Amino acid sequence: MRRFTAALFLLGLGVMIAAIYQHIDFSNTAVNAGQAINAVAAEETGAANFVTSVVLAYRGIDTLLELTILFTAAMIGGMVLGRRRVDAPRDPDAGFILRTGADLLFPLLLVVGLYIILHGHLTPGGGFQGGVILAAAFFLPLLARPGITLIDQRVVSLVEGLAGATFISIGLLAMFDGKEFLTPLLDKGELGALISAGTLPILYLAVGIKVGSELAGLLAHLAEAEALD
Amino acid sequence: MNLLVLMIALPLLTAFLLSSINRLSTFAARVIGPLVLLATAAIGLSVWPQLSAAPQAIQWGGFQAPLGITLYADQFALLFALAMTIGTLLLWPRSTENQLRSSSLALLLAGTGSGLALSGDLFNIYVFYELMTVVSYGLIASRGTSGSFASTLRYLVISGFGAALALAGIALVYQATGTLNLAQLAQLAPEKLNNLQGFAAFVLMLVGFGVKAELFPVNMWVPEVYATASSRVSALLAGVVSKLALLIIMRLLILVFHQPEALTVLLVLGILGVATGELAAWRARDLNRMLAFSSIGQLGVMFIALSIPGNAGIFAALAVMVHHLFLKPSMFLLAERWGGSIKALAGAAKTSPVGAALFVLLSLSLIGVPPLPGFWAKLLVIMPMLALDQPLYYFAAFVILAAASLEANYLFRVVMKLYEKEPAATPHNAHATLDLATAVFLGAGLVASVFMLVPLADRLDGIAVQASDVSTYIQTVAPQPLEAGRVQ
Amino acid sequence: MDILDSNTILYIAAFGLMLIGISGIVISNHLMRIIFGIALLEAGANLLLMLSTYHEGAAAPIIVDGNVPAMMADPVPQALVLTAIVIGVGILALALSLAIRVQRAYGTLDMREVRLKLEQEISADAGIDMPSSSEKPADIAKVPLNSVVQQESGS
Repeated sequence: MRRFTAALFLLGLGVMIAAIYQHIDFSNTAVNAGQAINAVAAEETGAANFVTSVVLAYRGIDTLLELTILFTAAMIGGMVLGRRRVDAPRDPDAGFILRTGADLLFPLLLVVGLYIILHGHLTPGGGFQGGVILAAAFFLPLLARPGITLIDQRVVSLVEGLAGATFISIGLLAMFDGKEFLTPLLDKGELGALISAGTLPILYLAVGIKVGSELAGLLAHLAEAEALD
Repeated sequence: MNLLVLMIALPLLTAFLLSSINRLSTFAARVIGPLVLLATAAIGLSVWPQLSAAPQAIQWGGFQAPLGITLYADQFALLFALAMTIGTLLLWPRSTENQLRSSSLALLLAGTGSGLALSGDLFNIYVFYELMTVVSYGLIASRGTSGSFASTLRYLVISGFGAALALAGIALVYQATGTLNLAQLAQLAPEKLNNLQGFAAFVLMLVGFGVKAELFPVNMWVPEVYATASSRVSALLAGVVSKLALLIIMRLLILVFHQPEALTVLLVLGILGVATGELAAWRARDLNRMLAFSSIGQLGVMFIALSIPGNAGIFAALAVMVHHLFLKPSMFLLAERWGGSIKALAGAAKTSPVGAALFVLLSLSLIGVPPLPGFWAKLLVIMPMLALDQPLYYFAAFVILAAASLEANYLFRVVMKLYEKEPAATPHNAHATLDLATAVFLGAGLVASVFMLVPLADRLDGIAVQASDVSTYIQTVAPQPLEAGRVQ
Repeated sequence: MDILDSNTILYIAAFGLMLIGISGIVISNHLMRIIFGIALLEAGANLLLMLSTYHEGAAAPIIVDGNVPAMMADPVPQALVLTAIVIGVGILALALSLAIRVQRAYGTLDMREVRLKLEQEISADAGIDMPSSSEKPADIAKVPLNSVVQQESGS
């Protein structure tokens, strides 16, 4: 009975979606906020990557909230999972290939992650993408040798708290200058250079470190959670 | 005026730094949360007089709308931002093992609530809403019992479903209009959103944002969550957070979606919500779930109020919202000690006479007995509906009145139990002083409003008129028009 | 849909993913499948958001070596989807942590059993009986037939 009603509901939903699709106007005359941003982003923010200028400058508050969501999710995950019992059995070490591969890839992934974070305003990428790669870099050794404690949760919480506070402080600094919260500061520099776009690379660095440390901490928590029999 | 952003930024900053502060001094970590909230409430109150003249808009980052994100402050938004901040301060969650995390979560809740009320951009509203949802998960799960984990998980599934639907609705709106700024959407809506695509976007966003507002099909999470979370968290969620979700739907309705079909959908879902909520409350046998179902019913009344076209609907909805804002947290605070089976409440009036008297007062206001404010709020909803002279509205008025009689039945069943002669086998303890004091404070607010009825009604009417004034909204934000034609 | 141009295919993909995700959430009983359903639904919604201002042949909105492309894609949906993906990741991580605890507490990942046990737990905490009209009808054999027959023959 329940499956029948569910199937009926989905059929109705499918019909509605088809009706909506018929009515979507595909003229796409490009009169939208995005194209307006494309026209002015280079002068207003000095970043060659316009997506970065949207993420950090035009919609900076959304990015701050996104960071807060990750912070909250990691905090709640830690709260829910609790601590591992000291005498709980641990998984055995992984095989030779994974252990050697993890050892080799760890520094490489760190370099790639940092490169993507620091070049976020010039090439595709940025804080979130680079931060996830950093987290993956810290997760590989956990997979290879489950027994080690690579990540100290206290250091993680300190780093993520300070990185988040840095982001908000840079935003508040703009207020002391008489401007609005999260206005980009500092000299815009030359378009396309590594040191350009004012505070945007600094913000992305804070974002990258925060995301990396948070995800690494969360993954470590999930890995440490006792195995389900 | 620019200080208003501090209502959002300061609590977030404090929440980030709380664990570091705790390392330096535990006392500071316990005290700084309420202090920061006091400061932000003071900032909000200081801005309030400026807004009665005209609403104001701040642009985040100084970028002009619609390129940047707008923070729009009118009295309506500031009222609920202050309600969130002061409510969190009054109902500060206390958890024995997780106090530090609960404090962080409470700070985040206050900051997010203020931001949600004050936001003027569609996607910004979505992100604030998601943040508030995640914070609620934490507050519910902080109880630590297996029941709280299971109910959080169920809430998560329903909420994730709703959030994705809301995102699809936002996609449809952006596809049709090319902007996400609410003021510019208000300008473009009559030509671009008055079709099936616009109506579909409205329904998707209604179901998405309605999860927190306990809308009819997506409110299955309510009884389990309110039964397993601590009473203060339930008070916060039912009392304040649901009103913020309703506020978003109101803004969308006033500014963007003017179709009459939208009002019909709200009316139907509101009627269903009232009917199912009150009938389930009638059958409930424990106090927490009875209050949970009752709040579903009351929120259904608010949805019905919203479906009345024009300023009368906004005024009625505002009156019911403010009334419920004082009423439900007070009842949940009383349920802190009285939670559990209603039969076990026999004779509890002897141990807590003040609590029992307060419960009687709150019940009378909920049912709608004059001269208490609940009566006036329900009157404001029913009178315009009768004036509209349409069958569905007549039916809605009948449903609300029938629900009132059901409320009288189940609430007075509890009152009779409270004042029974023979006490129960295991009598309840008296209420904790802080809980009782807060509940009495809220109840006193209700009683005080009886004496200030006319000026209060005028003030609420002014707030409603300012909120439904679309042209002032567009003028205040003054979005830059998008140039026609391809931009190179 | 005779001529399947790229727009149609992409929209079918987006709506299809959403439909598959919704069916996973609504039909399935296993917690892991429900969580996967949420992930698919969010993927579909993100794709729909990207498609809102999709223009075939537009270049990435990045200035490389001073060349400004003629037609640049819209950066706003890209930023929005970035935010939405990160939100989805956070929520998924939370869902998995809660699933681990629920499995540890109730011993099962079947949502029907979890809800039943949750209901029992709430009722036990409150000190009331479980709601009796759950799914099975009352046991008819328990009603004693003899007394009814005797009363009828007596009157």
